[in-house]
Amino acid sequence: MLGWLLPSAVLVSAMVATATVVAAGARADVLWCGLAGTVAVAAVAVEAGRRGRALTVQREQHAQREEELHRRLVRQDASTTALAKKDLPAAVARLRHTGSVDNALRAHESRDPMLSPEYRAARDDVLYQVLRTIDNEEAMREASQRAFVNIARRVQAIIHRQAQDLREMEDRHGNDPAVFDDLLRLDHGNALTGRLADSIAVLGGARPGRQWSRPVALYSVLRGGMSRILEYQRVDLHPVSEVAVIGPAVEPLIHAVAELLDNATRYSPPHTHVHLSASEVQTGMAIEIEDGGLGLSEEGRLRAERTLKLAQGEFDLNDLGETPRLGLAVVGRLCRAYGFQISLRPSAYGGVRAVLIVPQELITTAPATGRAHGIGSFSGPRPLPANPPRPKAGSRPWGATSAHASVAGPSFGTSPWAGTGPARSGPIRPNATRPGPMNDDVPVVTERTANGLPQRRRHRPPLGRAGVPGPGRAPQPAPPPAQQPDRHPDRHPAAQAKEAKEPVQPGIWLEAFLEGVNGQPPSTGSAGQTNEETAGKGEQ
Amino acid sequence: MSGRPGLDGPADEDEPERLYVITRGRSGPGGETPFDLVTLIVSRAEPKATMQPEHAAILRMCASPLSVAEISAYLRLPTSVVTVLLADLLADGLIEARAAVPPADFPDRALLEAVIHGLQRL
Repeated sequence: MLGWLLPSAVLVSAMVATATVVAAGARADVLWCGLAGTVAVAAVAVEAGRRGRALTVQREQHAQREEELHRRLVRQDASTTALAKKDLPAAVARLRHTGSVDNALRAHESRDPMLSPEYRAARDDVLYQVLRTIDNEEAMREASQRAFVNIARRVQAIIHRQAQDLREMEDRHGNDPAVFDDLLRLDHGNALTGRLADSIAVLGGARPGRQWSRPVALYSVLRGGMSRILEYQRVDLHPVSEVAVIGPAVEPLIHAVAELLDNATRYSPPHTHVHLSASEVQTGMAIEIEDGGLGLSEEGRLRAERTLKLAQGEFDLNDLGETPRLGLAVVGRLCRAYGFQISLRPSAYGGVRAVLIVPQELITTAPATGRAHGIGSFSGPRPLPANPPRPKAGSRPWGATSAHASVAGPSFGTSPWAGTGPARSGPIRPNATRPGPMNDDVPVVTERTANGLPQRRRHRPPLGRAGVPGPGRAPQPAPPPAQQPDRHPDRHPAAQAKEAKEPVQPGIWLEAFLEGVNGQPPSTGSAGQTNEETAGKGEQ
Repeated sequence: MSGRPGLDGPADEDEPERLYVITRGRSGPGGETPFDLVTLIVSRAEPKATMQPEHAAILRMCASPLSVAEISAYLRLPTSVVTVLLADLLADGLIEARAAVPPADFPDRALLEAVIHGLQRL
C-alpha cells in the first residue's frame, strides 16, 4: 500500500541533497524540479502498486477458474470414457434385451450434477442416436432375415414336393433304366438344391426344413446326409449301431452331417474316400467324418473353429465370407440350437477328422419307423442262428412256378413291412411297377386283393395237407415296427427257421395247381392264374 | 401291427435317404442283366454285419427263393434298384439267380387234367 513512499522519499532526499550542493540561485529551480519529479514518481508508484494488487487478484481468480475447469474436464473425460466403455454397451445390451430405446436410454442417462447441462444433453443425445440407429438396423436385419427365411421356406416346400414327385416317378419308371437314371440325377440335383435352401433358412435363424414326428434310424439319418452332397459315392458309410434319432433332431442332424460331408469331400482329393461312422460315447453318439485330404494347418483349424464358435454365439452374416465357411457356420448354428458338439482335429488319414457329438437325449432306442430301419433291424448286425436255415439245393422247391415263392411271402412279408412305417398310398405305388400289388396295410391282413400272396394260405387247410403249417403261421405275431433284434435274439431265429421250412415243402406247387383245377375262383389267386400272369410278365 | 405310432400324415411318409445313395449312383446293373421280374433269387451266403442293410435284407429274405418282383415289393424299392443290389450280390457270389420255368416246360394241360381225374377217382 505504501510502496509509493519509498521512491518518493529517496527522490525527496536526493532533491534536498542536491539543493544544498548547488548555488543558491539555482536552488529554487532544483526544488521545483525535484518536487515535480517526486510527485510524478509517487503517482507512478501508486499506480504500479494498484496494478500489482489487481494482477494478484486476477491471478488468484484465474487459478481458481482453471482448477474448476480442470475438474470439470476430468469429469467429462470420465463420463465420456464411461459412456464408451460401460454405458453404451450396457444400453445396447438392454436394448437388445428389452427392445425398447426409451427404456435403455432412461436407464443410462447422465445423472452427474457436476457436468454442464449442455454436456449432459449432448451425451444423452449421442446415446439416443446410437441406440436408435442400432434399433433401426436390427429391425431391418430382422426384416431381411425374415424375408430370406421366407423365401427359403418356399424353396424348401417346392423341393420337398419335387422330391416326393421324383420318388413316385422313380417307382413308376423303376423298370426303365434310362428313365430311371435320369430321374436319379434329377433327384440328386434336387437334394443339393434343398440343402442350399436349408442352409439359408438356418443362417436366417430358422429351423431347418421339415419336421419329423417319428424317430428315424441313425443309419438312415447318415444316409440322408449323404443324399444331400455332390460326391456321395466317395463316402464310405461304416456300420452303425441300431439307435434312432428323435424326430425333432432328425432334420438338423441330417443337415449338419451333410455340411460336414460336403466340406470333407470338397477339400480332399477326388480319388480319396471319406469315412463316415458313428459310435456310442458316454454323452451320446459320436458321428465321425474323416477325410484323406490335405488336412488343416493349425491356423486353418483355428479359423474353422473360430467360425464354428462365432456361429454358436452372436452371429453376423458379415462374418461369413466365402462358401467353405458357410458350411461350418451352418453347422455351428445347428450345434448351438440343438446341443450338438463339434470338433475338428487332424485325422490319422492325413486329412481332417470332424467329430459331431449328438447328446444322449436326442438318441432313442425306441422302435423307429422308416425303411432303412426296418431293413436295418431285419438285417443288421445281430447273432445269426447257429444252424442257419438254408434251402436244400437238391429239393428244388421253387422249380415249378414263381407262385411257390409267394408261399414264403407272408412270413417274410411281415418282417420287412413291420419296419416300414407309413403306408404308401395307391398313386405313389401304381400297380404297373409292383408286380404284386402291395397294399401296405398288410402285415396282419390275411387276405389281399388280386393275386395277393397271403390269401393263398386260406386254401391250404381244406386241402388237408398234413405238413403245411398254414394256420399255425397266421397268428405268428408280426414283430412291432423295427424291433431291435439284438434285444430279441430268440424271436428272429425262430421265425427264420419257420421261414426256411416253408418253401421246402416239395410238391407244394401241385397243391396250388390243384386249387386251380378244382375251380377256385381266380380272384383268390389260383396257381394257374398266377403262373400265367408271371410268365406273361416275364416274356414282356 | 395294431400300433403304428407316429403315423401322422403323408409328410412323414418318406425316408431321408434317396435311392441313388442306396445304389451308390447306379441306375441299373451294367451290361447284360441276368434279371427280369420273375428271375428267382436264392441266397448262397449269410448276411454279414458289415453289409449294406438292403443287401443283408435280400440275403435274409432269399434264404428261400423269391422272385425279383417280390424282393422289390418287400423292400419297397423300384426294380432297377433291386437289380443293382442283386448284381452286386451276384458278382460277389452271394446269391444265385435262376430263370423261372417258362410255361412251355409245363406238361400239357389236358394231360394234367386226365391225371387229376384219375387221382380223384382213387
